[in-house]
Amino acid sequence: MRKVKTKDTELEVDLTESEVKYIKDFLKREPTTTELGMLDIMWSEHCSYKSSRPKLKQFEDAEQNYDYVLAGPGQDAGVIDIGDGYCLSFRIESHNHPSAIEPYHGAMTGIGGIIRDVLCMGVRPIALLDPLRFGPLKNNPHSQWLFKYVVKGIADYGNCTGIPTIGGEVEFDKSFENNCLVNVACIGFGPIEDFKHAPSRADYPGDYLVLMGGSTGRDGIHGVTFASRTLTEMSEADRPAVQIGDPFTKKMIIEATLEAIKTGYVRGCKDLGGGGISCALSELTGNGGTGAEIDISKIFTREPGMNSFEIMLSESQERMAFVVQSEGLEKVLDVFKKFEISHAVIGKTDDSKILKIFDGNNLVVNLTSEALAHSPVIQREEKKPSYIDELLTQKTPDLTIEIDKVIYTLIGSENICSKEWIYRQYDHEVGVRSVVKCGDGDSGVLRLIGTNKFLAASVGVNSKHSFLDPYNGAKGGLVEVSGNVIANGAKPRAMVNCCNFGNPEKPESYWFFSQAVQGMADFCRVMRIPVIGGNVSFYNEDDVSHTTIKPTPTIMIVGIIEGEKNIVTLPFKKSGNEILIIGDTKAELGGSEYNSVVYNIEGGNPPKVDENQVKRTWNFLFELYDKHFVKANHDVNKGGFVITVAEMCFKNNFGADLDLTNCFDNSLRNDEVLFSESVGRFIIESEPKDYEKILKIAKKNNVTVKKIGILISSPEINITGIKNSKDIKLDLNKMKNLYDITIPNIMEI
Amino acid sequence: MNIKIAVIQFPGSNCDLDTLHVLNNVISNGVEAELIWHNNFKESNYDGCVLPGGFSFGDYLRSGIIAAHSPALDQARVMLKDGRPIIGICNGFQILTEAQFLPGALLQNDSLKFICKWVNIKVENNKTAFSNKMKKDQILNIPIAHGEGRYFTDNLKELVENNQIVFRYVNNRGEITKEANPNGSMESIAGVCNLEQNCLGLMPHPERASELILSPKETIHGLLFFDSMIEFIKKRSS
Repeated sequence: MRKVKTKDTELEVDLTESEVKYIKDFLKREPTTTELGMLDIMWSEHCSYKSSRPKLKQFEDAEQNYDYVLAGPGQDAGVIDIGDGYCLSFRIESHNHPSAIEPYHGAMTGIGGIIRDVLCMGVRPIALLDPLRFGPLKNNPHSQWLFKYVVKGIADYGNCTGIPTIGGEVEFDKSFENNCLVNVACIGFGPIEDFKHAPSRADYPGDYLVLMGGSTGRDGIHGVTFASRTLTEMSEADRPAVQIGDPFTKKMIIEATLEAIKTGYVRGCKDLGGGGISCALSELTGNGGTGAEIDISKIFTREPGMNSFEIMLSESQERMAFVVQSEGLEKVLDVFKKFEISHAVIGKTDDSKILKIFDGNNLVVNLTSEALAHSPVIQREEKKPSYIDELLTQKTPDLTIEIDKVIYTLIGSENICSKEWIYRQYDHEVGVRSVVKCGDGDSGVLRLIGTNKFLAASVGVNSKHSFLDPYNGAKGGLVEVSGNVIANGAKPRAMVNCCNFGNPEKPESYWFFSQAVQGMADFCRVMRIPVIGGNVSFYNEDDVSHTTIKPTPTIMIVGIIEGEKNIVTLPFKKSGNEILIIGDTKAELGGSEYNSVVYNIEGGNPPKVDENQVKRTWNFLFELYDKHFVKANHDVNKGGFVITVAEMCFKNNFGADLDLTNCFDNSLRNDEVLFSESVGRFIIESEPKDYEKILKIAKKNNVTVKKIGILISSPEINITGIKNSKDIKLDLNKMKNLYDITIPNIMEI
Repeated sequence: MNIKIAVIQFPGSNCDLDTLHVLNNVISNGVEAELIWHNNFKESNYDGCVLPGGFSFGDYLRSGIIAAHSPALDQARVMLKDGRPIIGICNGFQILTEAQFLPGALLQNDSLKFICKWVNIKVENNKTAFSNKMKKDQILNIPIAHGEGRYFTDNLKELVENNQIVFRYVNNRGEITKEANPNGSMESIAGVCNLEQNCLGLMPHPERASELILSPKETIHGLLFFDSMIEFIKKRSS
């Protein structure tokens, strides 16, 4: 923070000295306090992506390279054409800093913000997903407090707005103890026609600018600059920078916005998020190549006596800005009146390319739209942390504990156990679209009424893998999350990401970011998955305990299933059917739950990704789907494939007889066979009569398929054929109980 | 002639479109449902009405109480008096108790948490406007999604005597147990009706259990509620 003299007084800003000089040179005068405050926000890391932009360029241009991408990165949310005249819009972003300080309202306003991003593309938000990260819960009241109230915040907000929370992910790891990660994703669905009415641009001079929704208050002033710093002991004092959520007003905004767009007179639409009205107006006019004159005395405020600085910088929630064609103004205002929602005409666009803001007769801001939108770029240094190589060579001790004990421990560990405690609190069925519900599949599957299509969506990444190898970790995240939608029968159509990293000014932290972005960009290019949006959250470290979070490039994949008969689900269906493992199991215990839960070690050799192999596996699966050979499917994830098999048994009370003889590479150790988290693997259920045909298709695609067992009707897993080891008998009722009680035992008194 | 049903949209209703979808797209024929903004609702245009689920007025003061003072409820009261069918689902149930169409109150779940899951309910009274297509003691699979659904009344005796308890939460063998009661409702009550039996309130969501594709149980018991309503309207007009 530095003090800078302005035209009227002085202001504490986060801008660097050279940025302040650049501003003064550009303006050829001293900025006003309000102007400097606006620039401070617009050029903050959070709004301007000044550290990340050079790397994000590696993602190929989605709009240019994919004909079905209607809106790519840089817009409030990405949009894809799914055919039949309909589109899907989605985005993911972080709300980490506010949630670490005030979990309930931090999470609430995170949901609120992401809903607005999707809404302002002109479509109805129909689903929420929430990847979360906290410190381990056990014996940790602080983590429990964050966890409880983040979940409650998401539930209260999503449930009230009537948008189902259809999926999510949670990881517990020491590195997230002080910096919990709250990432929020939203998906919208609607006619392409409606999307076309709501660009984030004011293209025409002479249109009205209308502010609608909640009142502008003093809450959240400088929220984004707060999010662009590391947390310190002083951060508790930043609590007023956390906004308060109001889901009821948001529900009214959703209905009023959609109805206003239907009038046909809305020509642009923008939500007020980070940077408040400053950001919204400069983006609308900047993107459209217009200017505007605004009178802020028209803006309805929560309390009297707010000055122009406070009004322009307020990040009060639940506000939207509309660009309205002059002849339709009354019609649009009538919609807002019907919903009894506050609104005001605050100004008009013109062709000046300058944003002029008056407070009554007083001109308080006079900036070109260009100045606000074009922040400087910073080339950051990157350096591989010295500890990585040592971690990679870390050895997993020889397996001396009994294997069944290890499996019982893993199934009840915080990262693997059932997350039912969370999703029971979310209304995941409102909207009458939820076909595959929470807990019944790797992804959430929604029907898209009006078409014969279904969407499947999943979020996640493995931060333990990314920590050891951010390049392959990010790719592995993509394999896993894509694998989740594929397991339900969907073809991945597009991805959005949310990059959570440490302080980019530290070369080691920036290296993780750089590697992860490279990994995602490389993978998506080869697999032909467009990246249609993203968000970067830096500074996720705290100066008190000197911890940086494990690098977390969270990914969301949205896929499409054509027709109900092509939906595949997770639970095993019929005793006597066969259990096949698809894909190669390798000596990749690095960053595994096994290493972490049993030995408390973080290192080892983490999973690598071979795109060509992944591609072959996916093609193979789609070929099996075409022939309806797959009765159940679940991707192999944390804890290894035995955990996967157990999870597939639970729902319909099946068991499994597994014989691992000759199923795995003979050079692998037993712990590697059982607990390796090699990515790109699936467990499928198929009928014995189809086995030979499946093998033939596997051979054609050069994919490894092994029959590891058959389904039985008693709730037990019997494993034979383990090298130099006695057979194992696992009691599935005991496993299910351990799986179910972990979180309730900690969270319920 | 088509049967006309109003789905009343309060500010904050969020199962309004879902209910409308079932009435217009799932029910076979002869029904015309209309979404109507609460201030514009005119009872004389309709044969019956639905108060859908959601969070009317954000449920900020107390669930359903602000909506209970909407002009829509004055209109609905006219319908109630002349015997037309009215159903309140979830938040609609909360509104109907606050407006004293139905006895009792809905308190916060005993777990203190919102609960979204499929439950079983047993039909205790199959003579009402919304249960006449069900069998007595039939077990229905249906989902709940609420934070304040713990039914309470200080007049239980009267409710029992007048046969106003329409549904109870049960396990899949039809037994009333503590485990099968998801929210701590008194006597496991899931739904009640008025004395005249033309008005029903319940916490579970029939509109979410009316299509096979959404049902984890391969049942569509939710449809029975709407079919009963239509049957009731037809009988009244004949």
